Amino acid sequence: MNNQNEKMDSAVPEWQLELDKVGFVRKLLLARKWYKGDWWFVLVSAVLLLVIIILGVFPQWFAPYDPKAEVGPSLLAPGEETPGFLLLANIDDHVVTLQEIATKTNKIGYIMGSQATQALRDSLEIMNEEADNEETGITYQPRGYRYEDIQQGLDALQAGEIDGFIVSSEELGDHLQDYPGIHFVEEVRSSKASSFTLGTNQLGQDILSRIIWGTRIALIVGLSSACISFVIGVPLGLISGFFGGKLDRILTLIMDSLYAFPGLILAIAIAAVLGAGIGNIILAIAVIYIPTYFRVVRGQTLTVKNELYVEAARSLGTKTSTILWKYVFPNVLPSVVIIFSVNVADAILTEAGLSFLGLGLPPDTPDWGIDLARGQDYLRSAWWLITCPGMMVSLVTLSFSMLGESLSEILNPRLSEL
Amino acid sequence: MDKKILMKIKDLSVTYQTRLGPVSAVDHVSFDIYKGEILGLVGESGCGKSTLGKALLRMIDPPGEISSGEIIFKGEDIMKYDYNKLRNFRGKRASMIFQDPMTSLNPVQRMDEHLIEAIGVHEPGVKRESALKRSKKMIKRLGIGADRLHSYPHQLSGGMRQRVMTGIGLILNANLIIADEATTSLDVIVEAKLMDQLREIREEFGISLLMITHNIALVAEMADRIAVMYAGHMVEIGDIYKIFEHPKHPYTQGLLASVPNIQFDANEELYKMPGEPPNLTHPPKGCRFHPRCPHAMPICSTREPSLLEIEKGWLVNCWLYQKHQD
Repeated sequence: MNNQNEKMDSAVPEWQLELDKVGFVRKLLLARKWYKGDWWFVLVSAVLLLVIIILGVFPQWFAPYDPKAEVGPSLLAPGEETPGFLLLANIDDHVVTLQEIATKTNKIGYIMGSQATQALRDSLEIMNEEADNEETGITYQPRGYRYEDIQQGLDALQAGEIDGFIVSSEELGDHLQDYPGIHFVEEVRSSKASSFTLGTNQLGQDILSRIIWGTRIALIVGLSSACISFVIGVPLGLISGFFGGKLDRILTLIMDSLYAFPGLILAIAIAAVLGAGIGNIILAIAVIYIPTYFRVVRGQTLTVKNELYVEAARSLGTKTSTILWKYVFPNVLPSVVIIFSVNVADAILTEAGLSFLGLGLPPDTPDWGIDLARGQDYLRSAWWLITCPGMMVSLVTLSFSMLGESLSEILNPRLSEL
Repeated sequence: MDKKILMKIKDLSVTYQTRLGPVSAVDHVSFDIYKGEILGLVGESGCGKSTLGKALLRMIDPPGEISSGEIIFKGEDIMKYDYNKLRNFRGKRASMIFQDPMTSLNPVQRMDEHLIEAIGVHEPGVKRESALKRSKKMIKRLGIGADRLHSYPHQLSGGMRQRVMTGIGLILNANLIIADEATTSLDVIVEAKLMDQLREIREEFGISLLMITHNIALVAEMADRIAVMYAGHMVEIGDIYKIFEHPKHPYTQGLLASVPNIQFDANEELYKMPGEPPNLTHPPKGCRFHPRCPHAMPICSTREPSLLEIEKGWLVNCWLYQKHQD
């Protein structure tokens, strides 16, 4: 009798029992076996998500510039050098830097409509900031003189009417050799940086900084709206599916009518009623996704509630709430987790759409959606404006759905151990 | 057989509302379950055995309902219980072991969780540790190593799962266990072992066991009494030896003759009952068995017989043993 007993117990292969002993991390790595992927797949998604979350929580650690500040020339391509402008002065004045001829009493000339004026203004601004910080009391504000062409300007400079002349190298050409008394002093740039990793947008803001700061908004909007829909949609679906009857009819009717309405239009309507602002956007997006959770959970609940183990639990006198929470919910969860990850990604895109229409966030907010929407106008001339935020949206979507899948495998004890 | 009655079922009917009209899956059934006995409930598929078993715990879901009758358990009518009292009754005083051990355990819960939860439901004061201790004891009693308690259902074999299910049914010291095809999906060795254990436990704790099964050989081996159902009616109930020796009701006779037997000759054919079980939306008039009955009489097709005692503790539902005019 005893012998037989032992024999029966060993009917379960040993490896299966040993799997019980492995820890969570091991399971995390094993999970992918089911998917015929490899452990690195999970690792990559985990690292990706971690990076995104750290970026979202501490953008100030990573962003090189203030995302709202105009730190460079507009529409600078990634890695392209900030164009330099030539500062010219009389050799006799012995000028070495811009500072020497940029006080209130100085005069600096330029050609009408030249890009150089912007660079001059930007570098004066930088100089003034530095002067403020060092409390030297100097204000750099030279008077500007406009000239119709380069020859007029250089004539004036040679005559001593102005102290300096700022010009781009194309505008200058080879005119300098006609004026032996004038020499090149230094290059004047719009910003201290010689180039920007991901370029700048039409306002001269650094795209890298905007993307990094935008992670925060994306995570806040995506996660919180998905959480709200989850918290409302899942219990309603459970209750509706489990109890059925009139309540189920009414809830299904409401949810179906919500579902039938085009999502973005509904969000626009809600956001328009509630007004702009991040909280209202989150609410508007949450409402669109509630029916999706509801429908999936309700359908699954209808199947699970007829399972024998639910009936067995009832025959033991288990409370209905316990049955819902411990028997139905965990068995419904895997399909909900997948929706959650899709939902997060979709919420980011919907938020972008709302912001594009002016119903979302204030326009200077560093946000992928706003950047995408505004970058569309420059698609032909500046590809980097929408490529980078677009890639970030895809990356977040990908990492959330990868996380969702691995989570559902880990949560389901049958899949995690295969 | 002067045993104490544990559960008295009086005139119990279960009706399903279908599109073809009401179907009485269990039709005015009355019987008693004695304390400490094993009662085997047999019959063809669809005759209402499982429905009857569920009805005893009032577990009939819409569109079905218990349309009439009383279930008296220790002097109280269960039909009059409210939700909370009913919950307390289920599991604590009567519990059920289900057909399929593969699907009757929650796939995402470990074995110990199942057992602890069963205890927690009815004895909210019990601490987790002591519940775990009790579970371990019970599981050992059923012949499973205590280390297996921390496994998920899919990690155990069918026999082990069924024993855990049985453990869940037993752990609250219920007085009545309803085993609905509890061993049908197990192989014969495991089945025999489990049955042995059930019998031991019956003797140890004095529980009553209602065994719902197709397996007549198993009933013959295990049960004290046998109840035979046909098309929602109880046709014969009585002592196992007497009925197996001299079945009275023609259906019981046919049923027992259909059981394969090693003593049969190779040339001898197994008895096959003629006809099909009736469609319960339109049951035949009179005795429900009369279209298939070899002894049918004129009265059988006009009036229903009733379940009457022909000997002490032996009841038969057949005109053959009842006085009638024709």
